[in-house]
Amino acid sequence: MTTSPPTQETILRAHAEHQFAEELAALAEVDTRTRPPNWKLSPWATAKYLLGGKLDNGFEVSPKYIGRQRLVEIAIATLATDRALLLLGVPGTAKTWMSEHLAAAISGDSTLLIQGTAGTSEEAIRYGWNYAFLLSKGPSMEALVPSPLMNAMAQGKLARVEELTRMPAEVQDTLITVLSEKVLPIPELGAEVQAQKGFNVIATANDRDKGVNDLSSALKRRFNTVVLPLPDTADEEVDIVQRRVADLGRALELPAEAPALDEVRRVVTIFRELRGGVTEDGKTKVKSPSSTLSTAEAISVVSSGLALAAHFGSGRLTARDLAAGIAGAIVKDPVQDKVVWLEYLETVVKDREGWQDIYQACMAVSG
Amino acid sequence: MAIHIFGIRHHGPGSARSLARALDALKPDAVLVEGPPDADPVIPLLGCREMQPPVALLVYVPDTPRLAAYYPFAAFSPEWQAIDYSLASGAAVRFMDLPQAHQLAVRKLAEEEAAKQEAAPPAPGNGKPPEAPAPAELRGDPLALLAQAAGYSDGERWWEHMVEQRRDSAELFDAILEMMTALRTELGFEPENPFEAMREAHMRKTIRAAQKDGFERIAVVCGAWHAPALVEAAWPAAKADNAVLKGAPKIKVETTWVPWTHGRLSRASGYGAGIESPGWYHHLFTVEDQIVVRWMARVAHLLREEDLDASAAQVIDAVRLADALAALRDRPLPGLDELNEATQAVMCFGNPLPMRLIYEKLIVGEALGAVPDATPKVPLQRDLEAQQRSLRMKPDASQSEQQLDLRTPMHLARSHLLHRLGLLGIPWGKRKRVEGSKQGTFWEWWDLQWHPEFAVRVIEANMWGNTVFDAASAYAQDAANRAGALPELTGLLDKALLADLPDAASHVMQRVKDQAALSTDTGHLMDALPPLANILRYGNVRKTDAAMVEEIVDGLVARVCIGLPGACASLDDDAAEAMFKRLVTFHQAVTTLQNEDYTKEWRRTLTGMMDQSGLHGLVAGRATRLLMDAGAIDAGEAARRMGLALARAADPPQAAAWVEGFLRGSGLILLHDDDLWAVLDDWITGITDETFQVLLPLLRRTFSTFPPAERRQMGERVRRGKPAARATRAVPRSGRATRFEGERADKVLGVLGLLLGVGEDDED
Repeated sequence: MTTSPPTQETILRAHAEHQFAEELAALAEVDTRTRPPNWKLSPWATAKYLLGGKLDNGFEVSPKYIGRQRLVEIAIATLATDRALLLLGVPGTAKTWMSEHLAAAISGDSTLLIQGTAGTSEEAIRYGWNYAFLLSKGPSMEALVPSPLMNAMAQGKLARVEELTRMPAEVQDTLITVLSEKVLPIPELGAEVQAQKGFNVIATANDRDKGVNDLSSALKRRFNTVVLPLPDTADEEVDIVQRRVADLGRALELPAEAPALDEVRRVVTIFRELRGGVTEDGKTKVKSPSSTLSTAEAISVVSSGLALAAHFGSGRLTARDLAAGIAGAIVKDPVQDKVVWLEYLETVVKDREGWQDIYQACMAVSG
Repeated sequence: MAIHIFGIRHHGPGSARSLARALDALKPDAVLVEGPPDADPVIPLLGCREMQPPVALLVYVPDTPRLAAYYPFAAFSPEWQAIDYSLASGAAVRFMDLPQAHQLAVRKLAEEEAAKQEAAPPAPGNGKPPEAPAPAELRGDPLALLAQAAGYSDGERWWEHMVEQRRDSAELFDAILEMMTALRTELGFEPENPFEAMREAHMRKTIRAAQKDGFERIAVVCGAWHAPALVEAAWPAAKADNAVLKGAPKIKVETTWVPWTHGRLSRASGYGAGIESPGWYHHLFTVEDQIVVRWMARVAHLLREEDLDASAAQVIDAVRLADALAALRDRPLPGLDELNEATQAVMCFGNPLPMRLIYEKLIVGEALGAVPDATPKVPLQRDLEAQQRSLRMKPDASQSEQQLDLRTPMHLARSHLLHRLGLLGIPWGKRKRVEGSKQGTFWEWWDLQWHPEFAVRVIEANMWGNTVFDAASAYAQDAANRAGALPELTGLLDKALLADLPDAASHVMQRVKDQAALSTDTGHLMDALPPLANILRYGNVRKTDAAMVEEIVDGLVARVCIGLPGACASLDDDAAEAMFKRLVTFHQAVTTLQNEDYTKEWRRTLTGMMDQSGLHGLVAGRATRLLMDAGAIDAGEAARRMGLALARAADPPQAAAWVEGFLRGSGLILLHDDDLWAVLDDWITGITDETFQVLLPLLRRTFSTFPPAERRQMGERVRRGKPAARATRAVPRSGRATRFEGERADKVLGVLGLLLGVGEDDED
């Protein structure tokens, strides 16, 4: 999964292409394979950039995405076939991270970005007008304010659309013409912008959250979909949670001790078991609640437990500090989820060795 | 007298195609195939028109059909192609592996040895006999080692890629031979395993015999691993081979063909490991060109049949993505991995569910083979006949009756046989209920009638196993995997226990456990408890299973207690009726279990339900009654509850339902249980005349369900008034109560005391 890179001196967060400029240059140097038109690296070198590894000349490329190699390969192959790429997954699965690095490696530019929100308008996707200019000089290309998408088309680069499903459905569909015809018409000027080779779109979306607008089938068909999974192993997830919680704790300057590995592991175990529908030993099945229970939520449960422990508790994270947070994350639907959660407590947690404290703490807040 | 060695991969479509081409070029006059020589007599059947692959060669020991080996063949099996070629061209064809007569004999000895060891010390654990040395796969897949060296994740993919592009087939086999020689030398492999050494010695022996018979061009088709051992230059002396083979144990075996399926090809068999993707192999073998495009077209077709979106444009895009992926991975052609990934990304929008469909229908496939009528009898048939003889049950087309006393071993065995056949869909006997004296649980009554079509079903059932026991066990396990709902599974569990199939029973229990965890239908969960409770309390299951049942019951009770209040909210009359029955049976089951934790939890749930608003009267009434009977609430509390339920604020139909729920089926009990009578009496006497008139129709509705005789007795009891013990405490009322003549009643008490055996002191 993702790792937060160290930041440059003054900028809080540098663009990927600047931060990893050295690696990109080193890869370009040894990259002798064919590059699709307007690509800065070959597909092979792009995969190397994302997955990391040692180059022939001994240069070490750091891994950007730790996870399944096959998914990265599908994503790159998709972009090479001029089909748009849709990265799908629950929050905290490194969708944005991957899209930024793909754009940085392939176009050398990860800034052509449209952020999808409920308020995103068509202008944000197509173009707007500089009204002062428009009034004084009349409609012309100069008066036009191009969107990042339009710029990407003109320059043959990758455009990124973040949180595609948060946009209203009719705004989403603006993309259809661009994706199928590779043309953005400007009827006001009787002109159009034709996409240069190398142009493509990477969109990220979240299909399980509440408050999203489903993609129309017409739009869906124009994307190749890659589903980014949650971490494969418990250790991987525990590692991510612990690292992020430590970061957050430092930022909030909590006086509590860093969380004990055991507590983090229990939270991650509960989340994984409920999410996966089966206990970690593979012996007992459990129902899954309606909430997504992503790694990101596990992080917030642990850090809020940490805040509780710091301000109201002993300063050490205990089961009591975690219980309310865990129940809150799991029971999103007061009827269905509650049954699932109580069942889980009674049939799994109750009899698990060394889990009595967490069982009692959770029953106290939920039972 | 040239010998040509063709090292192949079992079920490898590339091998099959190359082999067919190579044989065409070579025109051998004898073909030797790795396979059991015991089956040589049935090879010609393969030429029959009715023979449709996939089929399997079955070699078994007639008196213990459990000992058997299967050799499945699909159209894309190189062995099948080799035999097919020989039958068509008139070349001699022989199997050359170590005969199963020896292999099975070795297995039998090993099993007997294990049984002996088990008999001597007290059986250690589950004591399964150690597997006899199974062929090739013991070492793992030798091709996987080569594939790893070439940077592939598994041997099959590597082989696919390496074989697919070959057109110069003869050189391919030379290359394989060289490769395997290198591999065997590198690993320092000398067949130290005596079993392997015997197999290769027998192969060489068969080749020598063919040479002696004067064949000119001998084609030898064997697993690639064995190829180096069969090269003439590397042969040890004939004497050495004979010495290896000397003294091998032998047993009488029979062979036949049985129909097979692509699904079963993916399982382990006489050739060792099964193959993952028979359907894909079949595609590779049958399609001449445009493998990728044709595959994608089939995928799209399947998706459309299932009403899923799949346009031609998507097929084009999927093919392009698969090609791009193959290029990125430096592969000449997209393999199944690339095709699946492209299908999922383009056609399924990243959704893995349709991929499962594609896996079942296309990648594995549903092809079912057929065998000609002339095929020899199957072992299941023999096993059944043997059992019919030993149990003295002659199959008869006319109907006859059997009473089985399960306390005698012979009758118990008969019952097991009938139950097992019933599971396999061969209803030779039908259970019937009989009124009369012989009704105990150890009596079973059956109507027996043998229908001719059962013979066909026996042949069909043979695919599940070679004995009735094995087949029924395997079938029950398969049925458990397919069954979706809990009631189906608990029913199956019951059958498996009746048929005495311990393995199947524990498998079904595992499924019940899984399903219980996932089931959202509390009703189903409640239905599952009574049979399990019976097993736990009275059943004769193995110790390990009892522990599992306990675990399941634990989970069931906990889940029902949590889910029941929710499941009882907003029931209509029909649903409430069903829930009423479930409540009663579940309560009985909990009572049977006599477990304090369960009882406590169950009472807590019922108590909660009494206060639940919006609960159907029938259910609420029964919950109150169950608690009262269990002593969790006293009679006064029950009367208070009844008053609340029948208060004028309550909806009349619901109030009636409450009374019905409280009293249903209790006419006699009402008569003889003072407490219950008191509850009703306290309540009725406590309400005003006006209210009584309003409620009368509702009460009548419940009381009209009691038989007339009971109602009459109730009336008499009312006329007699309150029982003496209570009369003193009763609120004095005008009218009837004063008419109670205590003196006359006291006269009876003396006699009654004698009858009941209590002292007269207790009378007050």
